[in-house]
Amino acid sequence: MRPTAQKATLAPNADSDTGATAVLAVWAGNEAYGFPLSAVREILVPPPLTEVPRAARHFLGVISVRGQIITLIDLPKMLNLEVEQTAPYGRVLLIDNGEELIGVAVDRVIQVYRMEPDDIEYASAMSAELSEYVVGVGRVPSESSADAQDMLILIDPVSLLGDR
Amino acid sequence: MSDPRDNVQQEFLAEAQELVEALSRDLLLLDEAHHRNERIDPALINEIFRSVHTLKGIAGMFGYRHVGAVAHALEDLLDDLRLGRTAVGQELLDVLFDSVERFQRLLELEDPQSPEEEPGVQAYIAVVRSIGLEPEEEEGDPLDRYAIEPAVLSVLTEYEEHRLRACIREGLQLYRLRATFDLAAIDDSIETLRDVASDDAEIITYLPSMEGGNEDTIELVVLLASRVPEPELKAYFEGRYGTIEAIEERTHLPTLPPRLTSIPSAAVSMRPQPEEDLMSQASLRSVANSVRVDIRKLDHLMNVVAELALVRSAVGRIVDRFKGESMHRQSVMDLDRIGRGFERQLSELRTGILDVRMVPLGQVFNKLARIVRQAAREHDKDVRLVITGANTEVDKLIVEELTDPLMHLIRNAIDHGIERADERTRVAKPAEGTLALNAYHKGSNVVIEVEDDGGGMNAHMLRETAVARGLLSADASHELTRQEMLNLVFLPGLTTSSEITNMSGRGVGMDVVKTNILRMGGMISIASEQGIGTKITVTLPITLAIIRALIVKIASRTFALPITVVREAIPCVPEEVHTIEGREVITLRGETLSICDLARLFGFRSTSEQGGRFVVVGAMGNRELGFVVDELIGQQDVIIKSLGKSLSSVHGFAGATDLGDQKVALVLDAPALFTEYFDGPDALRALETRA
Repeated sequence: MRPTAQKATLAPNADSDTGATAVLAVWAGNEAYGFPLSAVREILVPPPLTEVPRAARHFLGVISVRGQIITLIDLPKMLNLEVEQTAPYGRVLLIDNGEELIGVAVDRVIQVYRMEPDDIEYASAMSAELSEYVVGVGRVPSESSADAQDMLILIDPVSLLGDR
Repeated sequence: MSDPRDNVQQEFLAEAQELVEALSRDLLLLDEAHHRNERIDPALINEIFRSVHTLKGIAGMFGYRHVGAVAHALEDLLDDLRLGRTAVGQELLDVLFDSVERFQRLLELEDPQSPEEEPGVQAYIAVVRSIGLEPEEEEGDPLDRYAIEPAVLSVLTEYEEHRLRACIREGLQLYRLRATFDLAAIDDSIETLRDVASDDAEIITYLPSMEGGNEDTIELVVLLASRVPEPELKAYFEGRYGTIEAIEERTHLPTLPPRLTSIPSAAVSMRPQPEEDLMSQASLRSVANSVRVDIRKLDHLMNVVAELALVRSAVGRIVDRFKGESMHRQSVMDLDRIGRGFERQLSELRTGILDVRMVPLGQVFNKLARIVRQAAREHDKDVRLVITGANTEVDKLIVEELTDPLMHLIRNAIDHGIERADERTRVAKPAEGTLALNAYHKGSNVVIEVEDDGGGMNAHMLRETAVARGLLSADASHELTRQEMLNLVFLPGLTTSSEITNMSGRGVGMDVVKTNILRMGGMISIASEQGIGTKITVTLPITLAIIRALIVKIASRTFALPITVVREAIPCVPEEVHTIEGREVITLRGETLSICDLARLFGFRSTSEQGGRFVVVGAMGNRELGFVVDELIGQQDVIIKSLGKSLSSVHGFAGATDLGDQKVALVLDAPALFTEYFDGPDALRALETRA
């Protein structure tokens, strides 16, 4: 019924034909996160934010994108990672979670990686307790040195739903 | 999201839904005619048959196997009914009504082929097949009593033959009309004749006569049945169409065997196929005049309009910037004029789109009529439903949201309001109870009344129940006015026990009804006289999409408050604010008014606590509450947009609106704020202080 949501997930065997998935890597707080590129509708310079009183703390508020009202999420807060908020976020990703568009505030966009299934350690196969929003952890070549690898926290777009 | 198969599926579902609704409507008419022992219009039965027939067809195409199977069985039953092989009876009506619910449920299935449904469907089909009253047979074929030409009789279809017999049995007089028609326009002419005749006469059949006519014209013999006296019929048809004569009843039995005569084959081919052709013509015509539109497409158009409004205001700003300069004076004036023209057209466009979203309340009322019938049967009560204002139009969204609350009110009225026939007769009321559904426009609101002439509510009983359940202190209860006692019915704790509601005379869940109505920005009020009846009045905005709002600032954030609830705005003088039982109040024209500091409610650190603030006095129903805000910006039409799924559980906001320049203001949900303030944890204390 919802082809976009289906394709957008990074769950195991989601893209079994080719194996590889395009992942958009972004920086937020002190971590790098990855979103399936197919779920990213747009990357915006942050529009004016309107806070929504009484909403859960990881909801920053709402923004208007061409007349459409969109909820903006703070990633580290959503994952319960305490971060000293220093600078204002630099970009907003519009993510299609299959039901509506959700805005995700990030510091900056890193780049798009093509990830093979071998590059991803799925949450289900890991011992560590991971948030319900996380599909797993992906390894990508480091930005700083050629030999090292960086870790991407891979987010499941479908999980960005409802008031959790 | 735009999977073409999905679209096609949606189209199917929408069409199927319409057919089922049409079916439901027609069944109610049939039921009514049956109960009043009126003549049942054969056209109505045909209509029902066609709905089911079409549903069967499209269900087959889209793989809705169960829908198709049920429709197929019903089609057979209805065909029997049409042809007089069975008669309308209570059992048959029940089975038919049952089909409406069944179709709706089957259409909602995720998997239209679901094997789980199989047993239920088969059981129902078995019931449908088992039903059927033997029609009352008369002795001897009535047709034999009339001198109808064998040539005519032998070409009658089974349906026509049945109608002919039925008309004779009903005591209609048969007539033979000989009329000459222009060959080129014969189809239209016959259609016109059908239309003209339909009120007073039924056209059984027609076929070319053997004599009259020439190259361009043809003479038809039309067999009519009518109740209208011969002279009147003559006066009408003769001259306009041709000669008309009554077919006399024979005094002796016919000697000719009627069916053996062969007829010229040309005559057969001249006869248009009466059934199927007319049906397809009718449906084609209706398709041409209306389109079915996904509501999301309209929402999209509304967004585009909002975008255009932003463009317009940008143009306006440019005009303002250059207005003072003499250099481009003419151009600026031209631009200004064009901008104004643009704005006018834009507002027309917006009105147009809103208009498309409007649907008549009759859509809900028809569903409700079925509930009335069902509930009346369940409780063995005679209830007459009177509907007024069915074509009052409201926004599509509201119509959908209204069904459940109204259904609840109606069930309550029948379960607990209207008395049984014997009881009613005892108190000298008509044995048949009346339930009225009235709808009308009032300003920018639509009012819907649900009124019954039943036993009414016992206000004192309600009060005692509230005290017994610990919802109200005995002391406070004595200070309640009668109206306030009645309003207790909306309290959550009061109406959940069936034992108590049987006494109080109202059903479960009035609080839920109230919540739903408030959520739509509406109001609900109750009036009841014991022994006379109960009237519940629901007032709703006509459209949810656009509202006029008062724009205010609270702790330097912008909010919009729907103007419909705003009574006035007054300066807030800190010295005049008093605290009574932990609540802040001011005195307005001698009356105590509770006030609610929105900055504090929303947890903002207020920037201008010390004066210069305002109290916006809001009114909902008979309650008033002052909202304390920092600044009044002005009035504006705003388009309310949903806050989306993630934020849907946040209370106090009806949505958000784009004020231009990407600035978003939250729209305060006045009904929710009222409820929170008065009916929250401290609801009853508020009730006590007011009394």
